[in-house]
Amino acid sequence: MKKFLALVLALVMALSLVACGKTAPTEEGSANKITIFQQKAEIAEQLQAMAAAYTAETGVEVEVWAQAGDDYYTNLKTSLSSESGPVVFTLNSDAEITEVKDYLADLSGLSFIGDIDSTLVASRDGKTVGIPMTAEGFGLVYNADLVDPAALTDMDALIAMMKENGKELTTLGLSQESYFLAGHMFNFPFALQSDPKDFCQKVFSGEVKLADVPEFQQYANLLAAIREYQVNPVEVTYDNNCGDFATGKTAMIHQGNWAYGMFADYDVNFDMGITGLPINGNSKICVGIPSVWCVNADASEEEQALAMDFLNWLYTSETGVDYLMNQFGFIPVVAGMTSDNMDPLSAAVAEACATGNVLPWTFNTEWPAGIIDVKLAPITEQFFTTDMSTAEYLEAINAAFVG
Amino acid sequence: MNKPRKIASSALLVICSLVWLSPIYIIFTNSFKSREEMYANAMALPETFSLRYYLDAMNRLDFLGAFKNSLILTVVSVALLIVFCSMAGWMIARSNGKVSRVIYAVLILTMLIPFQTLMMPLMQEMNSITKATGLQMKDTLGGLIFMYLGFGAGMGIFLCYGFVKGSLPKSLEEAATIDGCNTWQLFWHIVFPTMKPVLVTLSILDVIWIWNDYLLPSLTLKSKINQTIPIGTQMFFGQYTIEWNLAMAALMLTIIPVIIFYLCAQKYIVKGVAAGAVKG
Amino acid sequence: MKLKRSWYVLFVAPILIPFLLTVIVPFFRGIGFSFVQWNGMSKTPKVFVGLQNFADIFHDGRFMTSMGRTALFTLITVVLVNVIAIAFSVWVTSEIKFRSPGRAMLFMPYLIGGLILGYVWKYVLGQGMTLLAANTGNESLFFNWLSNPKYAFLAMIVVTTWQMAGYMMVIYISGLEAISTDVLEAGRVDGATGWQEFLHIKLPLLMPSITICLFLTLSNCFKIYDVNVSLTGGGPANSTEMISLNIYNEIFSQSNFGLGQAKAIVFFFIVAIITFIQVRVTSSKEVEI
Repeated sequence: MKKFLALVLALVMALSLVACGKTAPTEEGSANKITIFQQKAEIAEQLQAMAAAYTAETGVEVEVWAQAGDDYYTNLKTSLSSESGPVVFTLNSDAEITEVKDYLADLSGLSFIGDIDSTLVASRDGKTVGIPMTAEGFGLVYNADLVDPAALTDMDALIAMMKENGKELTTLGLSQESYFLAGHMFNFPFALQSDPKDFCQKVFSGEVKLADVPEFQQYANLLAAIREYQVNPVEVTYDNNCGDFATGKTAMIHQGNWAYGMFADYDVNFDMGITGLPINGNSKICVGIPSVWCVNADASEEEQALAMDFLNWLYTSETGVDYLMNQFGFIPVVAGMTSDNMDPLSAAVAEACATGNVLPWTFNTEWPAGIIDVKLAPITEQFFTTDMSTAEYLEAINAAFVG
Repeated sequence: MNKPRKIASSALLVICSLVWLSPIYIIFTNSFKSREEMYANAMALPETFSLRYYLDAMNRLDFLGAFKNSLILTVVSVALLIVFCSMAGWMIARSNGKVSRVIYAVLILTMLIPFQTLMMPLMQEMNSITKATGLQMKDTLGGLIFMYLGFGAGMGIFLCYGFVKGSLPKSLEEAATIDGCNTWQLFWHIVFPTMKPVLVTLSILDVIWIWNDYLLPSLTLKSKINQTIPIGTQMFFGQYTIEWNLAMAALMLTIIPVIIFYLCAQKYIVKGVAAGAVKG
Repeated sequence: MKLKRSWYVLFVAPILIPFLLTVIVPFFRGIGFSFVQWNGMSKTPKVFVGLQNFADIFHDGRFMTSMGRTALFTLITVVLVNVIAIAFSVWVTSEIKFRSPGRAMLFMPYLIGGLILGYVWKYVLGQGMTLLAANTGNESLFFNWLSNPKYAFLAMIVVTTWQMAGYMMVIYISGLEAISTDVLEAGRVDGATGWQEFLHIKLPLLMPSITICLFLTLSNCFKIYDVNVSLTGGGPANSTEMISLNIYNEIFSQSNFGLGQAKAIVFFFIVAIITFIQVRVTSSKEVEI
């Protein structure tokens, strides 16, 4: 009887697993192949072409994993945590880097590492763990036919402009996606503090109340003015936000250089530029590193070595740099690298970088992980859909940071 | 029913179906529009019905390869689910022991677990299996099929069990046993054919689930050669924006095979019932 | 007897083995995680905190509200879906023209994955509505549903019903097709009108299908995630955040793996009790053949 049972069990196992063996890839052949996983959907196609080019030049196979969209980080964490991570991948914020730091290989051996400004390189526990992919900048993207950035002398001027334009022409359009609603623009009052890092710590510990800080009062007043004079941002999608701008229905949107790709389908016939949110008359834009390349420390040594070769190739070879600059349209982060193929917004960001007229990205480097999606955006939505006062708003935001 | 009422009812059905489907109109029309055209008016008919976005989407998806993978995955998983669930469902329904009741209750209860909470432990478990048996569970269609058997078990047995309890006369089986059939023959010659209606229903539901499933395959199938259509389609979904035309074109391409399948299968439901109605 | 047992194993094991390995074992692993504080990364040490995670749940007001909201959502949606699905199935099994394409069309929403469907409806209820308002001038009926907490919740119900009614219809159809024509003819001979036939013959014989469908809609509504993410994203201001999304955020956005698992387990037991009662009640009404 027992024998029979065992036989049945074995048969069943074999039967239900028979398909597994069939398609299983051979394990040992992996030393001549690396896998790449990254989030930017807009470069997906070019990345495939680059992989092919790399294989053609070096014979090493590069496999780009399928896109995971919004689930990218979840997917990455799950695969790293179950020992099946990609060899090369990207991370998008300091909080993410800290969370997965145990899985990051030391990249200090890369040949071009000295050419990158050390503040742009991600490091943890004395190791270099992330190489910047590109820089991105955001601020008020304006239509030069409708707005003279020099006229934005302070917040009152901006609010006065809204009143004057009324609803015929939207002065400043925001959109509903959580980073656009409560992440990027909300970075300005933080970044404008004399020591943003220290300031953030004081906010998190409850030592400083946002409601007492003038920059935040000005920011809250701006939101109140938007609620009063503009289309409700909660009702506007990114697609429409960009469409309104491209067709001249909105004079300014708060976006970054990434938005330029959205205008490609439109017949845009005006000049545009990008300027800062005029809190205290500021005109600097916020520039930071949206994502860094990392190498999986759990990959085999051969694979890690191949990954290093690949990154060296990408950042120093002619073909690699051509892909970075011209195909991906990235903003140069390595000294000596230039691009003459930049769209106007990227050019403005690169220019601001070169002259040092930039503010840091505290939302990416200081704020707790996930706070924008889970806490800040809902509070801001509430502000825009109810008659919450600016004081209540700052109070709620403050509690979100401290809690 | 008299004739005028019949006609009125038919007409009403057509109207109702069209209203019901109106949101799909948006999917269809916007698969022909550029971003600018969609911004201008998403509800209007497209200026031209050119198939360029379909071709573009097919190209970027590697449609043939993805289609093949989706097809293998769906056909094999559903076939195995049908066979195994009908066997187990019948056996559990017909033996009223404690074991059966426990198995049934557990199967049903697990249908209530949100998949998001199982993701991480599941992937770790698959690693353990790979280590213990040497069988590659991740990034293989076979491994994924195995997981579909696990996740489809609850629903499959639930439906089969219900059918056996509710609509399968015991007398039929008793007669066959008297005629000298053993359990195996009894099942395949008598029970399985009679279960056709519920099995067709089950196959429709499972086909749709597996054909459209995104989350589970996205966790396990990483290689380009293993991509399925829903995973490929994800390429058109950026962080903040969707390439509507390509995404909608890809969506149309995804659902057409399932519609054809459903139209074929539903005729079978009726036939199966007719065949089953012959008195045993 | 021994022989009987081996047949039993032969019939049940092929599906039970994958089921145990892919569902049961990971589920118990998950339970283990609910007693630790952990960010979900295998290399981060897990700190044992005992029942602390469970205690924390009850201080999480957002979770409790979300639980109540999910229950209300489920109650309304389950009733709507099943009433509509039964009506549809009776309709398309009657002897009328176009019933076959009609079935396919009513069923079609279910063919579209929840994510994409949510995006499409987001378009309809957001921009579509504002467009209609601009064209018709009727702003009391046409406005952006998704920026109003009450209407966003209603939108969740409408879209889920739209998606699931066709799905349940398919199960009801197979239930109706299984009713033997003899029974119906006998009813007609006795002079039953269409409505009486439905109420006294079809409905009682449909009870097994109703049990199945109620269970499926209950569990699908309680677990709703895809539509929630893509249609409202839980907003505005968390007013439509359902349980699965809340748990997902806890585990993956906030990286509180242990707390998220604890939430999932509490949620699981509550739903299990509710559905257990439902199955008990409805199956007691089933007619044995």
